[in-house]
Amino acid sequence: MSTLKTIVRFLLRLLLTPFRFFNKQRNGIAPSEVRHELPNDAFLGLVSETLAEGHTAVIWVKGYSMRPFIEFGRDKVKLATAAAYQVGDAVLAEIAKGHYVLHRIIKVEGDKLTLQGDGNVRGVEHCTTADVRGVVTEYIRPNRTLSADDAYLKRKIRIWRTLFPIRRYLLFLYKAIV
Amino acid sequence: MKINEGFELRTVCDENVIVAYGRKNIDFSKVISLNESAAYLWNAVIGREFTCQELADLLCKEYEVDAQTALADAAEMVAGWKELGLVSD
Repeated sequence: MSTLKTIVRFLLRLLLTPFRFFNKQRNGIAPSEVRHELPNDAFLGLVSETLAEGHTAVIWVKGYSMRPFIEFGRDKVKLATAAAYQVGDAVLAEIAKGHYVLHRIIKVEGDKLTLQGDGNVRGVEHCTTADVRGVVTEYIRPNRTLSADDAYLKRKIRIWRTLFPIRRYLLFLYKAIV
Repeated sequence: MKINEGFELRTVCDENVIVAYGRKNIDFSKVISLNESAAYLWNAVIGREFTCQELADLLCKEYEVDAQTALADAAEMVAGWKELGLVSD
């Protein structure tokens, strides 16, 4: 089964080469500089502190759970605090002591939030608005910066959400062009 | 020369990192980390005028290193700091 998957992926990559080329042209490629990585909890603690002091912060995002909107190693995000949070906002939240995630709000009930990564096919996180440390205001790619308020981007995020039942297959396709 | 205002040395999980506090936006994708001796020098001269020779003397006092090597190391470090905009003459 996994051999079949590998073959299919290889053929898809071959078939989608023009799209891969287009994607790289548009978004840029991951910088190759070596980055010194600090432990996540301590680092994001520092980021949270500075956000609370009223600064905005630009950070690299780790992991693949926000694909296709944030690509690990390629994209940075700008964070800021906000007075209120809505469905569709990507937020940095401390879901347990010292445990941070940067995922998207999929449900708001009073001060209770449900989060899920764009690139996750299962699993959600629950937290409250008090646990939110910041909200993504900009998606920074090597070749361009997208505002979180961008109507086109917002629409794409909404469409991605409604396509949740087939997300697994879309991600498979996405991996072939990234 | 002098360390520019708006930078702060913080310890995060045993790592010495410099954070630019003076600005509205803090770019953590460009956080600069200092090794132990650089952090020692930073703390020794923060907020006042200093020279490369002074840094070298400080190094000699704290570490077992000869004066010539210390001066060369200090000059190299200062050049790096200048390039990053951390110090100015």
